[in-house]
Amino acid sequence: MVTDRRDFLVNGIQVACSLSLLGLMKESALRKGKVGGKLPLERTLVVVQLSGGNDGLNMLVPHRQDAYYRARPTLALGRDRLHALGRGFGLHPQMGALARLFEAGKVAAIHGVGYPIPNRSHFRSMEIWHTADPVNRVRDHGWLGKLLDRSCEDPARASMGAIHVGGREIPLALRGETSDPTAITDARGLQLRELQGFASLRNGMTGSRTGEARESAYLRAVAEQSYRVSTRFSRAFERSEKADTPGYGLAQRLRLVAGLIEAGFGLRVLHLELTGFDTHAQQGRLHGALLEELSESLSAFQLDLEARGIDDRVSTLVFSEFGRRAAENGSRGTDHGAAGPVLLVGSRVRPGLHGTPPDLEALQDGDVPFTTDFRSIYTAVEKDWMGVQTSMDLRPMELFV
Amino acid sequence: MLRPWQPRPGEWNDQAATHLLRRAGFGPKKGQVRQMLELGLSGAVETVLTTDTHAEELYRGIEPLLAQGEVSTLQAWWMALILAGGAPLRERTALCWHNHFATSFDKVDDVRLMHRQNELFRREGLGDFRRLLHAVARDTAMLLWLDGGDNLKSHPNENFAREVMELFGLGIGNYTEGDVLEAARGFTGWGTRGRSSVFREKHHDAGMKEVLGMKGTLDAADVIDAVLDHPACARHVAHRLLKEFVAPRPRQEWVDALAEELISNRWDIGATLATLFASTLFFSDEVRRARIASPVELMAFSVRALGVPFAPKRAAQLCAEMGQALFRPPNVKGWDGHEAWVNVGTWIARHNAMVEVAEAKRSTIDSDAPRHATAEAMREELLANVHTPQLDDAVGRALAEAADTPTSIAVAAALVLTSPEFHLV
Repeated sequence: MVTDRRDFLVNGIQVACSLSLLGLMKESALRKGKVGGKLPLERTLVVVQLSGGNDGLNMLVPHRQDAYYRARPTLALGRDRLHALGRGFGLHPQMGALARLFEAGKVAAIHGVGYPIPNRSHFRSMEIWHTADPVNRVRDHGWLGKLLDRSCEDPARASMGAIHVGGREIPLALRGETSDPTAITDARGLQLRELQGFASLRNGMTGSRTGEARESAYLRAVAEQSYRVSTRFSRAFERSEKADTPGYGLAQRLRLVAGLIEAGFGLRVLHLELTGFDTHAQQGRLHGALLEELSESLSAFQLDLEARGIDDRVSTLVFSEFGRRAAENGSRGTDHGAAGPVLLVGSRVRPGLHGTPPDLEALQDGDVPFTTDFRSIYTAVEKDWMGVQTSMDLRPMELFV
Repeated sequence: MLRPWQPRPGEWNDQAATHLLRRAGFGPKKGQVRQMLELGLSGAVETVLTTDTHAEELYRGIEPLLAQGEVSTLQAWWMALILAGGAPLRERTALCWHNHFATSFDKVDDVRLMHRQNELFRREGLGDFRRLLHAVARDTAMLLWLDGGDNLKSHPNENFAREVMELFGLGIGNYTEGDVLEAARGFTGWGTRGRSSVFREKHHDAGMKEVLGMKGTLDAADVIDAVLDHPACARHVAHRLLKEFVAPRPRQEWVDALAEELISNRWDIGATLATLFASTLFFSDEVRRARIASPVELMAFSVRALGVPFAPKRAAQLCAEMGQALFRPPNVKGWDGHEAWVNVGTWIARHNAMVEVAEAKRSTIDSDAPRHATAEAMREELLANVHTPQLDDAVGRALAEAADTPTSIAVAAALVLTSPEFHLV
């Protein structure tokens, strides 16, 4: 590991170039001479997206409010089963691991996060979170992509890049203009199948073509990037193949993420997803299992980062596109709601409960109204964690130490 | 732009015929392009529209296997129908609707229901869109997928009501939150019992509602009709068809023209596609090779073009690796498609899949045949069958060097299949 890091720093420029080939930065940024020789081991943001609309009220439970128990005759969680966090809130019974992290001062939970005029469409609301724009429909760029773009303009920070781990589609949040994210399913997904004599012939065919159509040029660029980096990736994966990670899918993906961060590709953003939160019916067992996976995986990830000695430069943001209605529906589930809690995990977060706790006696249209604009969390991440200029006109929350 | 294309001499050529076969189906088999050229444009379009019979044994083959409950078996079966090419346009259209009404086994968790929905797309997919939409609204897999399984008057479930407007029928901006809430009331009473969709009168909200300007004691069918009556609906469907069959970013005037065509054909998808496939627009330079092939297209094009034996189950697995697991779209919006198919991760998956197809080619080569003759034949076959005139000189040179042993034939095939041009359709 030490050798790798030294090589990394000594051969800064070479590495920087290969990073651009990794699909982390588009060639245009390179041509503008915007790649510096130094690649400081910078901070990394890990984003865990809870897709489908997490029922925040059953994750961070307001157990002192009778209105909670009235609204949810079958789904409410008894206060004696919760992991108490103080101030009238407790974590879901299956989130013991996260509760222990909270006690250790490594979790910040922010109440009531959302935006004005809640949108109940999964896709539109997710788009809003991904683009940080609740008003205009932005299709091409996400807040993290733009963050990476801005960082590319600063020669000292040109090493940034983003990977989505666990699927094949690049999330909108990661798409930028000059930054060029990639997506991988798992550790095996980047090993090339070769035929004898094929690689040399293929390599003889590289290079752009004049007058080539846009799509064709795009495919060729991606193909060439892929070939040049797959070996490099494979090595990083091998290092991440250690045992003692819980069997949850999210935990496995986070183990890979830890390996990729440690390997020093200069990755700044890693994006993961935990799906299945759209619990309109019979949500009890299903939601519990998801929260358990989340809790156990975040906890294992934190331990892993600590063991690798890189916990100081990694923070994890956990969000969902919306919360759910306060009242349960007739199917023992909950329908799309508005605001919900956001979690930040890491050794450098300002621990504890933040923001205004939801008051279930003061719902708006049956929903928890938002009391913290999600963009004030994004701004904190941009400014106080990633150290780039913020793109949003909002005061950052104080979330990092 | 939808008027019939009248090719000048030489324009109805290999490229045009390949374009038709790749867009309206899953690509040419060996020798099929020549056949199409002989038929002429109208004969070729007619053939594309009427090649519509699956081998009975293959088509029925899934039935005894459904009891196993394995989604991989269902994926393999659909892939087998696609690769066999008995009804290319029907399967192509079914895949289009699978993406439009994207429903995932991951939540439905019932192979029989996924199969039944797939059969619905196959049966109705080239017919009247209104029938299709009404049928989708009562489809059991769809009810489970969008939480209509237990939709009560006391607690209307908004999920299906929202998607029927946002994704299936109208698109965002053409309805209000109020329409969604009112529509949800209309859908109450519908639910599932076992593997059936059922309507229970006592759970239906029979009160007055207003959806998209339609007023009355609207029920589920009325709500669907209100969506279909909205002028945005035909445009929404036209946009989907253009994205699937013409170009990734359809122009507004194409959308308007095709929507008009759809209405004048009384919502008949097959008749609308018949006009489209014979049109100036469909064969225009602007739209040729303008789409990045989806994983399913890529598998089918390569396996069919090279005429290699390839297990459908494996083909379906490779599609999943490349980002398109049949019956398991990422969400109700389906696959984004086009450039979203390709990044470093998925390109490596594409590369690996294509190399595997190329290796399968090796097994078809008679190693006793004279080497030189084999090489020549293979070179012609590869370049001719793959039909990518834009393939670079470099590929040609590589083929010349490579094509002299079974192994190097596979290398040559791999060069073609992994060339970026092959992935443009």
